[in-house]
Formats: sequence, structure tokens, C-alpha cells
Amino acid sequence: MSILAKANIMVLAVVILGAAIFLARPSIATYLWGAKYKTAMFQCDNVMREHLVAKTAMEASPGVDSLKNLKAAELGLVDCHGYDKLRKKLIAWGLDSNDLSMLGLEALEEESYELQRYVEVHEIRY
Amino acid sequence: MLRSMKYDIRAIRSVLIVIAGLFLASNGNAQTIASFIREAAVENGFLPAVDTHRQTNLQLAGLGQRFFESKFLSLNGNIACVDCHLDKLSSADGIANAIGVGGVSSGQDRVTAGGAIVPRNTLPMWGVGGIGYERFFWDGKVDGSSGNEIISQFGDEAPTTDALEVAVHLPVVEIREMLQEDIFVHSAKKESVESADRVYKAILDNLHVNEADAVEGLSNYLQIPLREITYQDVASAIAEFIRTKFALQETKFHNFVFNDGQLSDSEMLGARIFYGKGKCAVCHSGPYLTDFEFHTIAYPQRGFGKNGFGVDYGRFNVTHKPDDLYKFRTPPLFNIVATSPYGHSGSIDSIATAIVGHFDPLRIFNSAEATNFERAEYYKVMLAASEDLLKIAFLSDNEVESVIAFLGSLSFEPSFPSENEARRLNR
Repeated sequence: MSILAKANIMVLAVVILGAAIFLARPSIATYLWGAKYKTAMFQCDNVMREHLVAKTAMEASPGVDSLKNLKAAELGLVDCHGYDKLRKKLIAWGLDSNDLSMLGLEALEEESYELQRYVEVHEIRY
Repeated sequence: MLRSMKYDIRAIRSVLIVIAGLFLASNGNAQTIASFIREAAVENGFLPAVDTHRQTNLQLAGLGQRFFESKFLSLNGNIACVDCHLDKLSSADGIANAIGVGGVSSGQDRVTAGGAIVPRNTLPMWGVGGIGYERFFWDGKVDGSSGNEIISQFGDEAPTTDALEVAVHLPVVEIREMLQEDIFVHSAKKESVESADRVYKAILDNLHVNEADAVEGLSNYLQIPLREITYQDVASAIAEFIRTKFALQETKFHNFVFNDGQLSDSEMLGARIFYGKGKCAVCHSGPYLTDFEFHTIAYPQRGFGKNGFGVDYGRFNVTHKPDDLYKFRTPPLFNIVATSPYGHSGSIDSIATAIVGHFDPLRIFNSAEATNFERAEYYKVMLAASEDLLKIAFLSDNEVESVIAFLGSLSFEPSFPSENEARRLNR
């Protein structure tokens, strides 16, 4: 086989490999960072909820304590920065908004598995 | 010998008199307690069942039954109201969190088969829409109790002035419950009255095709042209069915309070605790044994919850008032013994646990199995419950059993005509 033929085969292999990696990027990213993304989403959701509660508490009963609570909750929102960064990273790796929504939904509903576990160990009363 | 026999007879006679006296005294005491309980029940707003009934039309109710039982009421989810409000489970579904779109079968099979989880426990229907029953759902998101306006997601564009009919509008546009997200639903998902109207119109088109005779029956009943029927008319029929089928009926306790009927000793003790030291009637009052107000009982969360990640803020989600965190509407108690599991997320398996959870939440919380986050959340729930916990008395296990016996006296069977009869009424 000539050197040129070998080079062609190598180039072809590199192109195929590159294309495969390119197409598999979302799956690879999900494998590598999916769990981390769910945790980050949980943490961000948590601080956002706390922030909402603090904000409504400030509206309901303004005062020094409520203000301190709200400011702390605002600082807590920094947790969402990590989540945002990870989200952008996943987008760069080819995940679209549907993929991210699905991951988010899985995270949000993680507790649903607990329901099935419950069914397995407890008899439902009729 | 004779003298001795005479003393013996006297002694026996004395004992008999004492026994008879004690019997009469205790009987008199029981009568007094019975009258106290009757008085307490009436003072707490308990009414004869018939006084809660609205006048309903059986023909319209029969049509409503058709829609209630039709999977075509769901635009694309293949689910009917009756799939979660089952006769065999006393108008509930017997599972912790409801399973909406994609749900098949019932009970345990429904959970294991999958389907979209609706993160609240299905509420039984008893008494719904009767006189004075104006707040709906666990978080009271439809509320007509002010008498002036109906508070709901529709804002000031409520489709009707009847709170139950407004409530009937919601499950069919609730994604996961009776609606599946597809391209059309996604395009209509704007949380606006206009986009909801598009979905209602699509549901109605669905019914025109698949429940043509029921829609035609409604058109004939209302004496309006077929094409002028709206989802509001369908909702009105369903509401009529709910009011008719699930209307309160006389129970053993009604008979006791209003007709001098009898309760067993255990039921009587339970009633005494319910209206007395248990202070149950502070919240479980009125003709439906609920004050329709919002309270926190420190029940653990089961499932991912309305706020996700195992959190459910309850009434707060409707009002955004911090005081409403973790609060839920006091549930009515009719047929309660047949509608387990209990609590907003169905985390309570038995009625005994439900009662104990009112005054001893740590006993019902499985700390060893809880995650760190679940424990942290539970402290908050307990804190929210603390206001009521201060008032609720401790009950022994025997007392709890008596309260359960009393709650059993609040059971009845529906008197709605059988399906065949309803079909006949439609013709």
C-alpha cells in the first residue's frame, strides 16, 4: 500500500473518529457531568426557594432581621452561578434545551423513585 | 341457720341494689355525656346531611357522569376523572401521590406501571360542592368562600361564578394530571386565560367527536345549538354530577346527634375526645368536619412535592405569604376510614398514624431512613406545625383507637342512582 493510500486511510479514520466524537458529545457530557448538573440544579433551586421565601418575608414584615435574612439569601444565590456555568458547558458540548430540561426534570423528580420503593415494601390499603 | 340465711339474702339484696344504683348512675352519666357530645357537635356546626345538599338535576348529573368517566375529557392524556376517584376506593385512589397521564390500572399496579406523578394525594370527593363547601384542593387554589368573588388562577376572568365549576376547569389543563405536553400544548403553555381557552376549545372538539351523544344530550338539556356548547357547560354538568353523587348522606353519627341514636362505648369515648380534650373539632368543625382553613400538621413529605426535590410549600404557593408555608386545607372527615393513605403527599399509611402525627410528629418520622435534606426540611415543617402542636393534647394509644372508632361512625354509602339508571335518565 502506498504512503498516500495509508495517509488517506488515516485521514478518513480521523474524520470518522472526529465525527463520532462530535455526535457523541452530548452523551459523553451527560455521562461526565449529568450527576453534577443535577446536584447543581438542586442547590440552585434550593437557594432560589429560600430567596423567594426571604423576599416575601421582607414584604410581609419589614425589619432589620428580615433584611439581614434577605441579604443572606441574595448572597446564597451565588450557588446558581456554578449551575449556570455548568449549564453553558453542557450546551457547548451539544446538549440542547430539551436535553437540559429532561435532566432537570429527572433531578426535580428524583424523589419519585422513593414512591416506587415505598410501594414495594408497603401494602397499599384498600 | 335461718338467721344466717336472712343476712345472706340481705347482703345479696344490698349488693344488687348497689349494682343497680351504679348501673343507673353510669347510665345517667352516659346520657349526660351523650347530650354534651350532641350539644358540642351542634355548637361546632355539625348539620344534618340533607342541610348540605344543593338542589341538583339528575338529568344534568347523568350527563356529567358521562364526562366524568370519559377519557376524552383529557385532550391527549387518555385519562378520566374517575381513574383517580374510584368507587372501590371511596372516591380516592389508594396511592400516595396521584398518577395522571400515562397511568394505567389502579392501586399498587398504577404506581409500578409508571405514568406522570401528580405530587399530591388524591382528595376524596365526599361533600364536594355542597352548601358551604367553597374551597377546593389541598392548597385552596380555588376559593369561593368570600361569597363575592372566586379566587383562582383565572384571576378576575373566572369562567363562572360557581367555585366548584371553576375547580372542574383546572385538572384538564394541568400538565401531567390530565394533559400531556405536546407541540400544541407547548404552544399554549403561557399561563394565561387565553391559552387555557385554546385548550378548552380543543377538549370540546375532542368531546364533539368522541362523546357526541353526551354533548348532544347537553345541547338538548340546555336547549342551545350543539356548536354553542362550551367547556363551561361540560364543567357545569360535571359539577352537577359531583354534587349529586358525592353528597353527604346520613351517618351513624348524624343519627346519634339528631335522632337520639346510639353510639358504641368506643365510638362515644372517641366522640368525647374528638370534641373534648383532643381538640380535634377546633379545626375539624362544621357540617363537613373541616374549617376549610389552612394548617400545618407535621407529616413527612412523600414524593418530589409540588416545589420539587421533596419540598411542598402548600398554601404558600397560592398566596406567597410566609405564614402560609407548609400549610394545607383541613381535610373533611366523612368516609375517612376508607380513604388511606392520608396527608397532602399520602405519606401516612394508617389513620392511627394520621392522628398520632397531630401531637407526636417524631413518632411518625423515620429519621434513620431520611436523607440529610429530608431531615432539614422536616424541622421546618415541624416548626410551622408548632403553633397548632401547642394546642393539641397527647392521646394514649387506646384513646387513638376510640377516635378511630368514632371516625368510623362518619361513614356512608353514596345514594346516586346506579350507572344504568343514570344512562336511562339521559335518554
